[in-house]
Amino acid sequence: MIPVSVVTGFLGAGKTTLLRRVLSDPAWADSAVIVNEFGEVPLDHELLAASEEVLVNVSTGCLCCVVRTDLTATLMDLARRRATGELPAYARVLVETSGLADPAPILHALMTDAAVAETHRLRGVVTLVDALHGAGALDRHPEARRQVLLADRVLVTKPDLGDAAAVAEAVQALHPGLPLRAAVRGAVEPDWLFAPGDPAPLPDPTARHSAGLASIVIEREEPIPALALTLWMQALAEHAGTRLLRLKGLVALAEDPSRPMVVHAIQHIVHPPDWLEHWPGGDRRTRIVLIGQGIPRHFPARLLAAIEAEVSAALR
Amino acid sequence: MTPPELRDLLADALALWEVPGRVAIAEGGVALEGMGLRIQAARDDERPIRWWLERPGQRRPCTSVTGLLRSLRNAVGAGEGEARRLRVAGA
Repeated sequence: MIPVSVVTGFLGAGKTTLLRRVLSDPAWADSAVIVNEFGEVPLDHELLAASEEVLVNVSTGCLCCVVRTDLTATLMDLARRRATGELPAYARVLVETSGLADPAPILHALMTDAAVAETHRLRGVVTLVDALHGAGALDRHPEARRQVLLADRVLVTKPDLGDAAAVAEAVQALHPGLPLRAAVRGAVEPDWLFAPGDPAPLPDPTARHSAGLASIVIEREEPIPALALTLWMQALAEHAGTRLLRLKGLVALAEDPSRPMVVHAIQHIVHPPDWLEHWPGGDRRTRIVLIGQGIPRHFPARLLAAIEAEVSAALR
Repeated sequence: MTPPELRDLLADALALWEVPGRVAIAEGGVALEGMGLRIQAARDDERPIRWWLERPGQRRPCTSVTGLLRSLRNAVGAGEGEARRLRVAGA
């Protein structure tokens, strides 16, 4: 499986500077980079017709080509050429979005295309927020907020030029507990930047609200039947629709509570579940975090309790 | 599920669907005030039916709380809205 990381951030956040820095690291030079310069990744033929060229740089500029296609086709074309030896055996793919891109369609493309999912694995989303204009962008532009909400980690750029602490606070208010660092001109270890997304849910048990967005934490002492979890996620997708931006967490399943199942969804698209070998820190409670817009704070927990009660009664 | 728990869940659901309305506890279940809708828990001997969604002259059975929510959403005119089916990545 070829890991794919998405690098996003609002206009001028320093994405290209960061990637240039990353690719200068010998350990990361064997990366394929897909640059989506303008607009979102075309997901259908209407968008495809309006799409800009997708620049694909492979292996620190040693190979460069221009491909006019969508992201999934580009990934598969790269993989095919990698397999035939036409391209170097790059170890990973980094996708740089445009500054105005909503990452959700890109993540959907990566998660829902069967061919891509067979050969690639979404590793995480890195969002850059610059200390100079980032707070204003988060305040004014929904795209910037969604970039933070869908992130696995945030890099605050240009801390030498602006108030990095204020930007970090704005980011944490929007997405509590999100791993965050600050760096000048991309001087950050790529191993941290592109580490797999942290499966552990956010630590703050209270919902926080910002610009109509909220993170909602559900904690459960008792293991949850797999059927109840599935029905709950389906009902959430059905009734919250696009208001549900992200769901992630560790779940103690009634069928095997000895190890946690990692759940991760972007809107209504769910990753196949992963299992950890052990419960991190020994805490065996189910902890699920939802990030959404306009979802009543107690609705997810009340819905889960209702479904769980019915399923448990039926299984007795 | 107790009537207060059902009331709270359905009040949240109305808010999520952006349907104005008030849910109150009524005999054997809850009522959506001003909409002519009542939800009653089914008796044990009516299984697999768990809920009845009632409106004047009509009584619709629901076998689960998720089915109840779906029926109620249609009944209050919220339609399918942004409803989406859960999809597994790569499937």
